[in-house]
Amino acid sequence: MKLEENIKTEFHQYKNQAEENAFFQMREKAFAEFDKNGFPTIKNEEWKYTNLKSIFDKNFKSTCVSSANVKNLLVDSVFNSIKANKLVFVNGSFNPELSNIIEKDNAIVISNLAKARKENTNVFDAHFGKYAKIENESLNAMNMALMSDGAFVYVPSNKKVENPIIIMNVVDSTDINVLSQPRNLIVIEKNAEACIVESYISAGTNASFINVVNEIYVDENAHLEHYKIQQQTGESYQNNYTQIFQEANTNINQVTLTLDGTMVRNNLHFYMNGKNCDTLLYGLYITEGSNHVDNHTRVDHAMPNCHSNELYKGIMKDKSTAVFNGKIMVHLDAQKTNAYQRNQNILLDPEATINTKPQLEIFADDVKCTHGATVGQLDEEPMFYLRSRGIPEDVARKMLLNAFADDIAEKIKIPELVGLLEQLIEEKL
Amino acid sequence: MIATNKMLSIKNLKAEIEGKKILNGINLEVKAGEVHAIMGPNGAGKSTLSAVLAGRADYDVTEGSVTLDGKDLLDMSAEDRAREGVFLAFQYPIEIPGVSTTNFLKTAVNEKRKYQGLEPMEATDFLKLMRQKMEFVEMDKSLTSRSLNEGFSGGEKKRNEIFQMAMLEPKLSILDETDSGLDIDALRLVSEGVNKLRSKDNAYIVITHYQRLLDYIVPDFVHVLYKGRIVKSGDASLAKELELKGYDWIKAEVEASM
Repeated sequence: MKLEENIKTEFHQYKNQAEENAFFQMREKAFAEFDKNGFPTIKNEEWKYTNLKSIFDKNFKSTCVSSANVKNLLVDSVFNSIKANKLVFVNGSFNPELSNIIEKDNAIVISNLAKARKENTNVFDAHFGKYAKIENESLNAMNMALMSDGAFVYVPSNKKVENPIIIMNVVDSTDINVLSQPRNLIVIEKNAEACIVESYISAGTNASFINVVNEIYVDENAHLEHYKIQQQTGESYQNNYTQIFQEANTNINQVTLTLDGTMVRNNLHFYMNGKNCDTLLYGLYITEGSNHVDNHTRVDHAMPNCHSNELYKGIMKDKSTAVFNGKIMVHLDAQKTNAYQRNQNILLDPEATINTKPQLEIFADDVKCTHGATVGQLDEEPMFYLRSRGIPEDVARKMLLNAFADDIAEKIKIPELVGLLEQLIEEKL
Repeated sequence: MIATNKMLSIKNLKAEIEGKKILNGINLEVKAGEVHAIMGPNGAGKSTLSAVLAGRADYDVTEGSVTLDGKDLLDMSAEDRAREGVFLAFQYPIEIPGVSTTNFLKTAVNEKRKYQGLEPMEATDFLKLMRQKMEFVEMDKSLTSRSLNEGFSGGEKKRNEIFQMAMLEPKLSILDETDSGLDIDALRLVSEGVNKLRSKDNAYIVITHYQRLLDYIVPDFVHVLYKGRIVKSGDASLAKELELKGYDWIKAEVEASM
């Protein structure tokens, strides 16, 4: 368990020079939690199909060194041509030179967490560490104990962020096996509106492990577009925990695209704390080789009259594996809930695997909920239809696979980005 | 036109699905310029015949032959049959979300051209052709930018089939119960579309349960299919007779002769 030792060493080094303040106390508490539970194993029901052992045996270390490759990597990324606010983090450290904020309204804060802790103290204190729990969540605890930096976005009441905000996480393992632990805090106040994209890419040939925590607070009547685009290459491991806390009348559209990565685990949680929330969550994972993607989602309907709709799609090639575990929790008070969940998978090779588990837990009695999962090959009927028009089998297959995948990519409301992503998807398929 | 210009020749065609015999020896010759109607009671094998001709894999052909302009059709994949000029207008056109009608047709047209050794069509020429052919069936322009058949009404789906037929200019078109589920206006539009496409160089097999469609698309020959065999053939007046008398008299004739 090299990683566990490294974490302990790092924390003790940090502790020796840390100031004794509230922030430090939170981290110390988190470290104690991590120390108590250690890393989750496959005996833990939530981790049954995702074995982290290969990560914990590696000698990952935190570093803030970044190589010259990073700049070129950003130029080559799908986001380069997109007009947006860009926050760049390399191995979890903020890189102001590569970042670019174009938003004109100074009341909107698009910054980094380390700075916000000092300059936006009220917002930081009111929300930091309040949503992503650390109890029995060792990886969250580990992030809290040693997180480096991350994005801070604050949109005050009635403000609309005109351009998307892209949080670009580059993991650069040029020199060593890198451990990166960014943490993002996003606060959208009443009647405000924002579009936020998280991007993950890699540089370097050593292994990398990025352990991300996102805390997102969306106040009444606010609207959030939130996208996660995961394209890490090489031997890359990612654990990505996102807790979105919604007040009444909020409207959220969330899309997660996992296009690459040796092992990706997403934990995406929504908590509806007020009435009339509307939450859409979409996911697409395309896996190949021996890659592994695990999407754990949870939607908590805690209050009445909320609507959620979830659609996750997967295309698995070679010997790759994927996990879908979607839980809808309808609390006792959440009458008139409408909650829908679907998971559709296409296995392209005999050795590809999906473990899918749609789950509904309902404690209210006046609700409409459905869930379901499908696993299979491409449907015969559309195939025959296309072929009967003279389209050869391989071309027809590509058309149908692209259509299956683009359906999710098109939920992203940045048209120029959708075009580029669809091109990427087409190349992958 | 040369009188011996046989386009399609079906000889003693027998086919089954999951061991169940559906076609029990069909013989049919279709020449360029002709319209053949195939009628018959439910379960006679009408849709099976169209599926076998179009190359649906679910059916096993156990005996017989089918040639198109002398080429063995049964030996070809579904896409090759289409590129050789066979077109099936589906009874139930399927919805394909995510594939736009325009993109689909561009691919189909260009795959056919590639097969014929031609260059792909210029984008502007293609769009011009689409506009022109859409008028044939009074197809709404907005439908082509949408996903294939997605959310289309029954009538729109059938019109889309005829529109595709107009785009692909097949030699042999098989209309499988194109009239089913159509109101009288849609039926008229679809039929007029087909009539405009009729020429001395192409042929049609119109499969229908009812005579109604044949008031609009007047056939040269009418065949009655029963128990997987053509049991009676005649001209357009046979369809009228069937409309008046139903199928029972034919069934009785067949049973008596067995």
